[in-house]
Amino acid sequence: MSRKPDSRKRPPVPKTRMTEILPPEGVPIRFDLAGLGGRFGAQLVDILLSLLVVSLFIFVLSAADVITGEGVIAILALSMFLLRAPYYITTEILWNGQTLGKRLLGLRVVSGDGRALSPHAITVRNLMKEFEVFVPGTYLLIASNLGIVPGLILLVWIIALLLIPLFNKRRQRLGDIIANTYVISVPRPVLLPDLTRQPTPAAGQFTFLPHHLDHYGRFELQTLEQLLQVRTGTLNAAARRQHDLNLRRVSDAIVARIGFEENIPEADTDAFLRAFYRTQRAYLENRKLFGDTREDKFHNRSETRA
Amino acid sequence: MNGETGMQDIRSARFRAEREDDWIRLDGLVTRVEKRGLSNLSFDEARELASLYRNTVNALSLAREISLDRALHAYLEALAARAYLAVYAPKKALGGMLWQLFSRGIPQAVRRSGFVLVMAFATMILGGVAGYLLFLEDPTWFNTIVPGGLAGERGILSSRDELEAVLTSGADGSLDRFSAFASYLFSHNTQIALFTFALGVVICVPSTLLTFYNGLVIGAFAALHADRGLAYELFAWLSVHGVTELSAIAIACAGGFHLGLAVLFPGQMTRRDALRHAGYDAVKLAILAAAMLVVAAVLEGFFRQIIQTPETRILVGWGIGGLWLAYFLFSGRGEDKS
Repeated sequence: MSRKPDSRKRPPVPKTRMTEILPPEGVPIRFDLAGLGGRFGAQLVDILLSLLVVSLFIFVLSAADVITGEGVIAILALSMFLLRAPYYITTEILWNGQTLGKRLLGLRVVSGDGRALSPHAITVRNLMKEFEVFVPGTYLLIASNLGIVPGLILLVWIIALLLIPLFNKRRQRLGDIIANTYVISVPRPVLLPDLTRQPTPAAGQFTFLPHHLDHYGRFELQTLEQLLQVRTGTLNAAARRQHDLNLRRVSDAIVARIGFEENIPEADTDAFLRAFYRTQRAYLENRKLFGDTREDKFHNRSETRA
Repeated sequence: MNGETGMQDIRSARFRAEREDDWIRLDGLVTRVEKRGLSNLSFDEARELASLYRNTVNALSLAREISLDRALHAYLEALAARAYLAVYAPKKALGGMLWQLFSRGIPQAVRRSGFVLVMAFATMILGGVAGYLLFLEDPTWFNTIVPGGLAGERGILSSRDELEAVLTSGADGSLDRFSAFASYLFSHNTQIALFTFALGVVICVPSTLLTFYNGLVIGAFAALHADRGLAYELFAWLSVHGVTELSAIAIACAGGFHLGLAVLFPGQMTRRDALRHAGYDAVKLAILAAAMLVVAAVLEGFFRQIIQTPETRILVGWGIGGLWLAYFLFSGRGEDKS
């Protein structure tokens, strides 16, 4: 290899919060773990909704003059009791791991063992929620009435419970750990067009030789794909100009790196990049089939040094 | 070879083009399942969903091997994940599950939990004895043991008549029964039961303490009433709901012990697995305790006011206790599945 070793470091692998689930088919399926913010939001929506239902119920009852003041408190207590764990358990069983709040925020509970979410797991994680969310929450509301020692215990308890999801790699709270469940973001599949199948009229005019294609790896190829997948129709004039500029800069960089001799006219930038993408992808996929996986442009650095 | 830019030379593009229609079809089916449930599909569609899912998962596996098309990867990952969720969804009806749980799961769990149940009841009885003895030693212990709100108007200064008045209260039906029922559900003992269960995870200690403490309170109460010559009346008064309620607390505590013992003595499993394993019976005990507390609330809110003679109170209380026992011992026998 004649090119000089690259002095820059490999870009760090981005930390992804993914989890893999192995269904009985044996092909691992990847999920994005739900963020703590989303889970908190879903929880809040659920609590607000149940409060709303209870207050509506009480409003109707008192408007109809059925109950007195004391009865209102009793009903409030009773309905909150019935609306908590039973609400979560029922909705999650009926909607396969989603409460109303989770539906709104696109979250879902999945079972860690790759099989269907069992009613047992749902019950466990929601019973534990009583002690992780509701009991400390209720006590927090009356915190000022607690003494110093119970107050401190409560504080330590809450902090410990909050830390558990932060310090395990699957963002599980205690109930999730016992039930072996995760909360994930429901993925939204969008099928972008295959770039190699789009007609590019001027593409035929570029010819790449094997030594042109030895420089890049999967990472650069997919970065280029991302750039080419931008839907230019949706951009405004300024963004469009910026996009064209980016394309030009990338094509200049590629030309310089691979030592491409031809001159690329400004108007053919896009066609050049697409032609390069297609050829490079065919080349890399071919190498991959023969066991030569090329991750990124540093793929043969160790060889150069040896 | 590299000069050719014809479409046919990219294997992964051909791979994608051949299967794309199937994926889009699957996408549509999955979206329908997500919106309206699996029952919305016809038999043929459900079968198609299953087979398309399997094909797509295979395609995903293959694409990971051969393709560098990032858009394809992202799409297949998301589609396979959603289809997986649609295919592996629990399909049982809620009612059937509940029936299964109460007719088999719970009594079987109770029968498997003999050791922790004995531990829990023993803890409570020990607490009771301790409370009783403490009161005999020095009646002012009563104020230390029993929180003010719980004792109500009963205390070491109460006379026999005052105590008796509480035991027979509600005879005239003056009490709003519904609100008694509801406020009871939210009362002290329910919280104790919930706490003893959940805190079992913290190596049993809080469960033990709470159950023991609960025993202490009852012991002190018993001693107070015995001191005023009301032992029999208190026993009857407590029997109506107490047999069910105190058993519920002990059962919740036993559930807690299950979890705590799993953490303390995981045996050859990891702690996490042991906890998960213990959870199966522990949760059933917790649900049982909750159900029993609801029954106890009905008994306390309605029956204790209606029934006033001590003999009937004892009969009702222990009769229901006997029913519980029969349920635990005999239900869900026969062919064992769950």
